[in-house]
Amino acid sequence: MDSIDTKDPMDSMNFARRMLSLDRRLIFLLIAVVTLLPLLYPLGLPIRVSPEVRKIYDYMESLPEGSVFLLSLDFDPSSKPELYPMSVALLHHAFRKNLKVLGMTLWITGTSMAEAVVAQVAQENGKERGKDYVFLGYAPGGANVIISMGQDLYAAFPTDYYGTKTADLPMLKDVRTLRDVQYAISLSAGSPGVETWYVYGKEKYGFELGGGCTAVSAPGLYPLIDTGQINGLLGGLRGAAEYETLVGAAGKATAGMDAQSATHFLIIILIVVCNLFYFFTGQEGRLRG
Amino acid sequence: MLFWKRSLPVLITFVLGVTFALQYYVPHPASEALLSEVSVWNQIIAGFAAILGVASLLQVHYTKMRRKEAGWGYSVVLYLSMLMTLVIGLWSGGESEGSAFGWLYSYVLVALQSTMFSILGFFVASAAYRAFRARSLEATVLLVAAVFVMFGRVPLGEYLVYGVGQVSDWIMSVPNTAARRGIIIGISLGGIATSIKIIFGLERAYLGGGRD
Repeated sequence: MDSIDTKDPMDSMNFARRMLSLDRRLIFLLIAVVTLLPLLYPLGLPIRVSPEVRKIYDYMESLPEGSVFLLSLDFDPSSKPELYPMSVALLHHAFRKNLKVLGMTLWITGTSMAEAVVAQVAQENGKERGKDYVFLGYAPGGANVIISMGQDLYAAFPTDYYGTKTADLPMLKDVRTLRDVQYAISLSAGSPGVETWYVYGKEKYGFELGGGCTAVSAPGLYPLIDTGQINGLLGGLRGAAEYETLVGAAGKATAGMDAQSATHFLIIILIVVCNLFYFFTGQEGRLRG
Repeated sequence: MLFWKRSLPVLITFVLGVTFALQYYVPHPASEALLSEVSVWNQIIAGFAAILGVASLLQVHYTKMRRKEAGWGYSVVLYLSMLMTLVIGLWSGGESEGSAFGWLYSYVLVALQSTMFSILGFFVASAAYRAFRARSLEATVLLVAAVFVMFGRVPLGEYLVYGVGQVSDWIMSVPNTAARRGIIIGISLGGIATSIKIIFGLERAYLGGGRD
């Protein structure tokens, strides 16, 4: 009788221990399936806009036509899934508002990608290079580029990405320094990025600054929103999706939210299950002890 | 020799460090002109630093290949990739639009870098399952906060649980901001202390190794 009474708890505990050591390839497979299915069969759930994203949108809306908007695409292809949709949405908004767009990047490996997005969105909006938008390209130095632009933009970028002298570009006729920029947004995946633009740019040259970043970096930038150092933040794919909702241009970020929803749910279920098994094995251990 | 390798760099660091710490507070046109000039110098030096970085990388991996250390095959791949990119880049004249260099960027670099970052999603899930356990009170608080934020940052979570989005926003805006602010202040104070030590020559690690 004693052996029958103790058999079930041991089996259960062994099962719990086996589940705690689940082969991670099974977890990888589950992640792959729950990521893929919503992309094939979208749910199309509404996206709530957070206050920090709304602030950027509202500020862009308040800019008069012809204002100079600087978009610094400070990321490389590894952050493309999160930051590229943000740049598309922001550029569509800027061109729709007939702002003068100044594109650039502080990351060398992101230069071609940055040029492609600016040129493509400009073309879709019927904008002319040199007159409605300028793409400066990349210059080495990170913070030094920002300082140099703040002192003399033509010295920091003697030519634009395409080799045209910046002094000859009609759009830059009245833009000599960063003091002539009304609004700047840095979409960054690290350093140099939003904090660099604040410390070496906004604080000295007085333009308003917004930020966009990967979801991993977003918690670190919240203190800057609170103090007004940046006036808003697009955080990760969710931030990009919210901005797409606001400008009415649903794109890759919105499409990715269903997959992100499913993946988050799976991770939460895995965490709950793992903790249940963990408590179960701990409980059994205490009872036996 | 010691003067050129040690004393002169320390002297330059001191002079320029003090000068540009003071320059920030001097709005005189001469001060601004000095900043403009030196900013351009810094950009040029940064360009040369990039070349130095590449040369250092090649030297490290050459040593690995010569000594046939563990993983030296990857060093061969690095050399071949770098050489191929350089040759194709020069052949394309640095142009990316419609060129082989552009193809290499769009279909090799972009694809590989995006994939590397995307793989992290799988590892995060596996790591969360294995390590995210409520072993203590602090771990439990972290766990609960993480679940709320994960729920609140996706449309499905907000659709299923009313108010979870607002809770998630509160967690990010209040406790997270408070903690991050403390970390930022600590890092900034440490940065100021280190900068002062470098300017006054108390910290000389930037001069590199070697005997005095």
